[in-house]
Parts: sequence; structure tokens; C-alpha cells
Amino acid sequence: MKLTRRDFAVTIAAGIAAPNIIRSARAQGATIKLGMCVPVTGPAAEQGLWAQNGAKLALAAVNKAGGVLGKQVELVIEDDQTTNPGIVLAFSKLAAQPDIAAFLGSIRSTQVMAMAPDVLKLGKPVMIGGTNPDLTHMGNPWLFRFRPNDNYSGRVIADYGVNTLGKKKWAIVHSTDAFGTAGGKALSDALSKLGAPPVLDQGYANQSQDFTPVVLAVKQSGADVLGTYFTFENDLGIFARQLRQLGVNIPWVGSPSVVAVSSTKLAGPALFGTYGVADYAEDSSEASKAFGKAYRDAYKTAPDNQSAWPYDAITILSAAINKAGSTDPTKIREAILALKKYAGAEGEYNFDENGDGLHGYNVVRNEKGTIVYDKHIDFND
Amino acid sequence: MDLVLQLLFTGIGIGAVYALVALGFVLIFRATNVVNFAQGEFSMVAAYLMVVFAVDLGWPYWLSFLLALAGMALLGAIFNLGVYYPLRHRTFLPVIIATIGASILLANSVLAIYGPQPQVLEGWFETPGIQLGSVYLDSQYLLIIAVTIVLVIFNYWFFEHTMLGKKLQATSQDKEMASLLGISVSTMIMITFIYSAVLGGLAGILVAPVLFVSIQMGSTIALKAFAATIIGGFGDVAGAIIGGLALGVIETFGAAYVSVPYKDGFAFLVLVAFLIFRPQGIFGERVAEKA
Repeated sequence: MKLTRRDFAVTIAAGIAAPNIIRSARAQGATIKLGMCVPVTGPAAEQGLWAQNGAKLALAAVNKAGGVLGKQVELVIEDDQTTNPGIVLAFSKLAAQPDIAAFLGSIRSTQVMAMAPDVLKLGKPVMIGGTNPDLTHMGNPWLFRFRPNDNYSGRVIADYGVNTLGKKKWAIVHSTDAFGTAGGKALSDALSKLGAPPVLDQGYANQSQDFTPVVLAVKQSGADVLGTYFTFENDLGIFARQLRQLGVNIPWVGSPSVVAVSSTKLAGPALFGTYGVADYAEDSSEASKAFGKAYRDAYKTAPDNQSAWPYDAITILSAAINKAGSTDPTKIREAILALKKYAGAEGEYNFDENGDGLHGYNVVRNEKGTIVYDKHIDFND
Repeated sequence: MDLVLQLLFTGIGIGAVYALVALGFVLIFRATNVVNFAQGEFSMVAAYLMVVFAVDLGWPYWLSFLLALAGMALLGAIFNLGVYYPLRHRTFLPVIIATIGASILLANSVLAIYGPQPQVLEGWFETPGIQLGSVYLDSQYLLIIAVTIVLVIFNYWFFEHTMLGKKLQATSQDKEMASLLGISVSTMIMITFIYSAVLGGLAGILVAPVLFVSIQMGSTIALKAFAATIIGGFGDVAGAIIGGLALGVIETFGAAYVSVPYKDGFAFLVLVAFLIFRPQGIFGERVAEKA
């Protein structure tokens, strides 16, 4: 047989390429990889740790039950530094690995907003916990939300305050970041619809050392109920203490941070008697109770939404990939959207075409430091 | 009127915290001509030491306080030997970068050892505060203001009326001359670093019950304290105190009467205005460069 120049070139090329092809095939074959952008450093490093705990707990359960598509699932974690540039960098590092099938993004809306263009470009499913309603309403088909969005939290806070507590003179205090601004607006809109437009709408910048001017504004407004959207627990703690010190004791219904584990610990008695909407409330359903028990057994501490949504995200994502029968992004998307009445730790998931899985909130109460489930308010639209 | 008094009290309280940290900046700047960007981290480390001693180990508050300050003195000495001393003959730039590096190292070391959870540290007093008419005086802020006043008096006495203070002043004004007069310059610089670390630590311990103990508590205060030193006149002890207090009051009133979200903006607006119209600060010398 005569070896032509072309045959020679093909043989050499194949010889060079073969080990790489085999290696990548083996890499793709060994496990199913999921990427996770999470704060390991920065102001939310504490919550980042809980998110990892939740994700790892779900991962262990999925792998114990046989994994996904017959393979074990592996979590690849990148530090988002709790900053917007940080998450863009973290996501680009993960996106560069072609064998990662899907991702977990941030619980912070501002970070999800920052990474969203890259998500659209990559075209793979990203599970998110950010609650700014816009995130799933800006034409990005790859974002799937595992917490109810702030349209719902605003509506639930307003509904509970107006209809259950019977209060109509509202003061709203919110962070000026993407989450706080959207939340404050959602609450304000919901109150206006209920015929109780707020008497005060007060923004503040994150990591403030003093909230005296905010508290005095609340006091002067003559409000008889307070609605809040705080992003960071230490801000909330300082505000809560100063609020009580300056003699403001009106009922307080807040976004999930009011009833978060770390706020309860930091602010102590200053938060006693407050109400918060919580996407995760341990006593709200059997699935929530089961997650609560598993989390306590594993980490010896109480879980909250920071760990519940990544838990659900990993569980549902794994189920969806199994159902899709492949890691093809479009098929995974279809499988997630097809999930109906799925009982998760955060509540019952019914994904709509925007990628929103949950459509209601629990209202919980701080009973002398213990978070007690009060009621669940769900919406159909 | 009550509103004004309430804001004034809080403004002075938070300003006193800036002033304490600013004082540390100024002392090191005077002695070494460099800005120590790890000054805020000194506050953070001291607050964590308090948490370790008073909360985790459950030791008495006063003992924990003394131990934390002793720890800070040690840290100041190590900082001098590890960060400043090896670079003392270089220009100011490598030293400043070394202090930034040290600040990152300190913050991340605490993060690695203690984890990211913010901690609670109780204040000195059982009573959280005093109600004076319609004005609420937070006891911790009262303590901070009192300590600042005492430190102003102490610094004046120390630098003007003691031999050690005069030696430190001489060193900061002209190292060569001081050395010719038989003053051990490196010892003086060592004392300055120890004193600054203790001062920074004191600020951290005092402010911890108000702001909670967290990794980033130092950097947020230090940024304002740095602005305060520029407003007061870099290198001037009285300027740092006045600058700190002024900044606290300006941002509190700005937040209350103009805009809360832009609270931090007021501090830096004042800073920019000073840099443009009076770069030497309130008390600074007109000639910026020393001859």
C-alpha cells in the first residue's frame, strides 16, 4: 500500500488528537458536573457557606439514589466574592468547562443581573435565588428561579399587614441595591392596590454604620406599620436595635432577612415580635420538615432559605436531567418547565414559562427568638 | 430641636469612632511618612480578640479588654518588624503597598480562623442607654465619646509634656536630626506602631457592640477615618479628631436632611472639596512637602 501525503497527514492528526479526544470523552463520561457560583469570601461569605451546605446535602441524596443518567453528580464551586465583577469572573471560569451541564447562580439579584448576559450567551440552564421580578422577565430563557419573586413577597407583606394586622399607614425601608429597590417598589405597588399607599419610602445604602436618620424618618412619618427589604443581616441588626432604642415599636413585616438565622442572632430582642415573609419555613410542609431534619442532622444548626433553595435547585435539576434523558440544554429546560406540583423544601414548584418555580410565601413570626410558622399566602397569577 | 440633638449625638458618636482610627493613621504617618492601610484591620482584629476572650472563653470583660489590647501591642510590634522595618529605606510606595497586603492578609486570616459569621459582642454597660428628654443616648456611644475626649487630653500631655512624647515628635519631624541627638529612631518607630495598633484596637473594641464584629468592619471605618485625616490635615493629631467628628456629624445630618442613600457620598464630597480648596486640611501646614 502506498502511503499518500494525505493519508500521512490524517494519521498524524489522528495520533495527536486521539489522546485529547479520549481524555475529554473520559472526563465527560465519569460524572455529571454542575457548576455553582457562591460567595466564599466577601460580605455574604456566611450565607455562601449555608448555600454550599444545602447544595451538598442534595447532592449526597441524589448520588445515593443512583445519581443522574446513571452517573455520580459532581459540584464545581467558584467563589463569586459577593460582588458583581466577582460572579461574572466566577461564571466565566465555569462556563469555560464544556462538561458542566448546568449551573447554580446567586441568591443576590444584583449579581444575577450582572451575570445574565453571559448566561444568555452560553445558553445553558442556570438556577437562581435572586428575587428581583425582572430577572425572569427580560427574555432570558436560561434563568430558573427557586424562590418566589419579590412581586409575591411584596404582595404577601402588603396582604398580611393590611388584611391580617389591619394596618394601613405604611413606612417602607429598603436597600438601594437591585434587590431592595425592586422589593420596595413591589411592596409600594401592592399597598397602593390595596388602597394603602405608603406614607414613607426610604432607601439606604448597604453597609451603613448608623441608621438614626432612617429611624427618625420612620418616627416622623407617623406610620403604624413598617415594611422592610434589607439585604445584609448586620445592617438589619443595627437598624433593629436603633429602631427600638429610639422608641419605635410599631408592627414590622419584612422581607426574608428579618427572620433569617443570623439576623435573629445578631439583633436579639430587637426583632422579637416581628413578622417576615419566608420562602422557607420548616413547619410549612412535609418536604420542608424533611429537609429541616436532614440539614440539622448534617450540620447541627437550623436551615433557612439560603440553604433551602440550592437544595431544591440541585434536587430538581437532577430530576429534570434524568427526565430529559440527556444534558442537552434545551431538553433540560423543557424538563424543568414540565415539572408540576413538585414538593420541595421551599414549597410546591410549578414552573411557569418565565422560569418562576414558586408563586407564594409563608408568613412567619419571631417568637422571642424562635421563628414560628404563621400562614401561607399563595397567588395563582 | 430634639431631632437635631438626636442627630448631633449620633453624629458625634460615630465621628468619635472615625477620630480614634484616624488618630492611628496620623501617628504612623508622622513617624514614618507612610499611610498604614491596615489601620482598619487593627480594629477588626481587636474586636475578634474580644470575642475570643469575652464570649468564647467567657473571661471577665475587663480582663479580655486588657488582653485584647496587649494582643494589639504585640501585633503592632510584629507589623513594624514584618511590614515596615524591612522596607524602611525604600520610598513610601512599597511600604504603602506592603500595608495594603498586610491588611488583606489580616482580614483573610481572621476569615480563615473564625469563619465568615458576624459575631455579637456585648457592651461595657448593662444599661443600653439613657433617655434624656426625647433624646436617647446610647451608652456605648457615650463611652466612645468619653474615651475620645480622654485620649485627646492624654495625647496632648504625652506628646507635649513627656520626654518620650518629645522624642517621638522629634523622630517624626526629622529622623536624621533625632538620630544625631541620640534618639533611637527604630525604637521610636516601634513604639509608634505599638501605640497605633492599640489605638486602632481600642476603636474596634468600642465600636463592636454597636456595629457587630465582622471581617469588613475595619475597612468601612478606615475609609472614613482616612477621609477624616485628610479633612483634618494629614499628620495633625487635633486635625484627625476634629476631622473625624466633623465627618460623623456632616454625614448624619446630610443623611437626615438631604438623602439617606447618599450618606457615604457626603463624606467623600467633603473630602473632594477639601482636596480642591484646602488640600492641607483644617490644621495642615500650607507647605505640603517637608523641606
